[in-house]
Amino acid sequence: MIASMNAELKPFEDLAAQFAAKELSSKREEHDAYPFGPFFGDVLDKAYEIGLLGITLPEELGGIGRGIGALSVILESICRVDASLGGIIFATTVAQQIILESGSTKVLASVTKNAGNAGDFLIAFPAFNNPSEIPHLIYARKEKSKYILFGELEYVVLGGIAGHCLIPAQVRGERGYSFFLVDLSDKNITRSEPVLSLGLHACPAVDTKFNDVEGILVGKEGDGNLSFEKTADRMHVAAAAMSAGIMKGSFDEALAYSRERFQGGREIVNWSEVRMILSNMAVTINVSEMALRQACRAAEENEAGWEQNALASAIYIQGAACDLTTDGIQLLGGYGYMKDYGQEKRFRDAKHVQALLGMVPMKRLKYIERVIDGVDR
Amino acid sequence: MVSGSEIEMFLEREPKFDDIMCSLQATSKQPKGIIKETKKVVALARKFNDEVVRPYSLELDKTVQEDPEFLAWDFVKKANEWGFYTLWIPKIFGGKGYCMSSMSFFVEEIASACLGMANLIGVHYLGVATLSATWNARLINKLSRETVEGERKGNPCLISLAITEPGAGTDVEEVDLVDKGDVTCYAEKVDGGYVVNGRKVFISNGHLSTWHILIAYSDLKNPSENTVVLAVKNGTKGFSFGRKERKMGQKGCPASELIFEDCFIPEENVCIDPDQYGTLSRSAKETAMQVIDYVVSGTRAGVGAFGTGVARGAFEEALKFALETEVKGKLLINHEWAQTMLAEMYKNVAVSRLAYAETNYANGMYGFYKTLQWKPTYYYTRCLPRFIADKVISPWLDKPRATSLMRKMSLDGQTDSEIHRTSGWASLAKFVGTDAGVKNCQMALEIMGQAGLRHDRRAEKCLRDSKLLQIYEGTNQLNRLNLFKCLIGRSYPQVAVFQE
Repeated sequence: MIASMNAELKPFEDLAAQFAAKELSSKREEHDAYPFGPFFGDVLDKAYEIGLLGITLPEELGGIGRGIGALSVILESICRVDASLGGIIFATTVAQQIILESGSTKVLASVTKNAGNAGDFLIAFPAFNNPSEIPHLIYARKEKSKYILFGELEYVVLGGIAGHCLIPAQVRGERGYSFFLVDLSDKNITRSEPVLSLGLHACPAVDTKFNDVEGILVGKEGDGNLSFEKTADRMHVAAAAMSAGIMKGSFDEALAYSRERFQGGREIVNWSEVRMILSNMAVTINVSEMALRQACRAAEENEAGWEQNALASAIYIQGAACDLTTDGIQLLGGYGYMKDYGQEKRFRDAKHVQALLGMVPMKRLKYIERVIDGVDR
Repeated sequence: MVSGSEIEMFLEREPKFDDIMCSLQATSKQPKGIIKETKKVVALARKFNDEVVRPYSLELDKTVQEDPEFLAWDFVKKANEWGFYTLWIPKIFGGKGYCMSSMSFFVEEIASACLGMANLIGVHYLGVATLSATWNARLINKLSRETVEGERKGNPCLISLAITEPGAGTDVEEVDLVDKGDVTCYAEKVDGGYVVNGRKVFISNGHLSTWHILIAYSDLKNPSENTVVLAVKNGTKGFSFGRKERKMGQKGCPASELIFEDCFIPEENVCIDPDQYGTLSRSAKETAMQVIDYVVSGTRAGVGAFGTGVARGAFEEALKFALETEVKGKLLINHEWAQTMLAEMYKNVAVSRLAYAETNYANGMYGFYKTLQWKPTYYYTRCLPRFIADKVISPWLDKPRATSLMRKMSLDGQTDSEIHRTSGWASLAKFVGTDAGVKNCQMALEIMGQAGLRHDRRAEKCLRDSKLLQIYEGTNQLNRLNLFKCLIGRSYPQVAVFQE
């Protein structure tokens, strides 16, 4: 448990675990179903009421003002039961943090302080991309003091349920990109139906078209990448915590099933090959926990090299979760592949979460680039 | 330099030469016509992929996500129209008689476009293979000709295999495990046949099939020596379909529950039972294992080909993405790391294909289709006029003598070494191909990033589809143990497998 590093985090872990057990556990299958339902609906409102949608947001902006440690223990506990809500918390937190990193506190306050419900409070964000890695399809042109956005942007997470959206766009004639806050009720925005995807079914994403939509510049023109990278450094820890939670859920179910299922006349947990697979899972979780605790502590205390700890943890833990959830299905045999159990969902969710904040190989290259350039401490 | 007796002695050492070079030994012994037939079915599969599979695969997957009760009858009818359900039924049984080894290459092609649809075609031959492995000439002839008739009339007549039970998956695939397992499908011997009670689960194509080759047991306390193989037709009193499972992937292919309640199966539909085992040289338990090994030696190579196909499908999606997507200002395909990942994926496909092809050679030399690929039989059946097959051979196949002869040749005629070689290689092909399938899908998603997560880009469907391959046809853990038993442990008297 990450919370073991800091007693102050224990209440957050308990809170999230209780919330997940009460609000998520029994409806996991329903929330995962396609065609999509109303997503989490009342669950989101409850999450909003207890502050889960603004964990790292300062209290004066309507959040609970905690650090990356609290965010991580909460995400881990929630994703242990259902990673979709974790995806929602993650996406909106990334958006909030980018705006804060950009110094646009007032812009953020205009959203969070005026929110009357969860939907108003949420800020949509294309959380599965690093905007510097892909060609920009949204452009901004300056008209007097206003910025007008146009173009298309795929896979905007929460784009169908949030009140606002944080969009990376390139100002015509400028290098780099900038972030803009957009009111999603603008009639010049076209949004698709939620995109059918691999995992995180209750954390919906939509494709968007912007046809001359006014956007509020967040930070300075061209500083988008700076804000994104600073935010991503810290949020890699949170993404890793999501994967750790998924791994634990998979292990819990595999162990429980292994104790009940018989093969060759005895519980499968008593076959050494099954024990070997369970052991590999348990060891992976243990090592991941250690890495995550260290990454959290380093980030909380701004230790030298914390950014690299965070990134390395994310790369390792997210990859490990993909392998571990594969074994998690395997231990349940045919039943693991069916929707009646949670293993197939965890397998999908783990792979989905691995793509947060950009392509896996690019994260690996970024890590070594920093080592080579001497940024590593 | 080295004497004849020395050559023999050294080649008998582990790894035995006969076990490791099936392809080399098959080169001169197998008919050349196999190459032409294989090329033809690969081309046919590619044409079918272009015209039927690719335009429909995502829609079918989505439709079943929306409505888990949906059955892909339209696709099955289309495959029936194209003649796929009789393509590998031997000519003497009324089919088109393409060489068995070509089927793996065919299903690889279909699986590269849609694994669910590959199952809708390929799993029919799992039923055919199980029926065939009992070497009951009359029933093989009867059911095969019904399939041919179903093709002619546009009424698909598929055959499924019903073996897995709610409490026993791995156990039913090994006679050393089944006696300790929780099997409940009971076939009680009565006058004129058997009465069956029990349930079967995860039966691929169950709801779409007309005939079901049912594995049941006439003594639940000693199932390994009392395995009964029955042919059950839809509409039989006491037989009904239960639920369709809600799977993660391979959604087009239903996994069905089959329910038997006081279901009487007449003697004429008994493929093989303990009474018939008594006429063979091996014990009932050994024969039951031999029948299973005959089936899985063929079908596990097929599942290896499914894995190869989905590995290739994932590779092709990743390649297409890399060719058209810019990352960090240049095309992804021109990033060295991406080229290396794609090369690794290509390797996974190629190695998997080699593994199932080697298993095919083993089956052609020592296993399931040894007789059919023996040059005289092969060329004779190609020249055989249809009316002779129908009017002369078919009536003879209905006689008990035909079954007796086929069993003498195929069951008694197969040595233990040949069983081990074919079964061991089939397990290897199965887990090599299916592990590669899952691995390539994971790599494709890493290369494609956000785009890979979307249903409309296909890669995520490949990943969902691929995972089942590591489970069915014996989990990959069971297949590793079977490889150990067949190709490693057999040489050491102190080894005990499945006895832990």
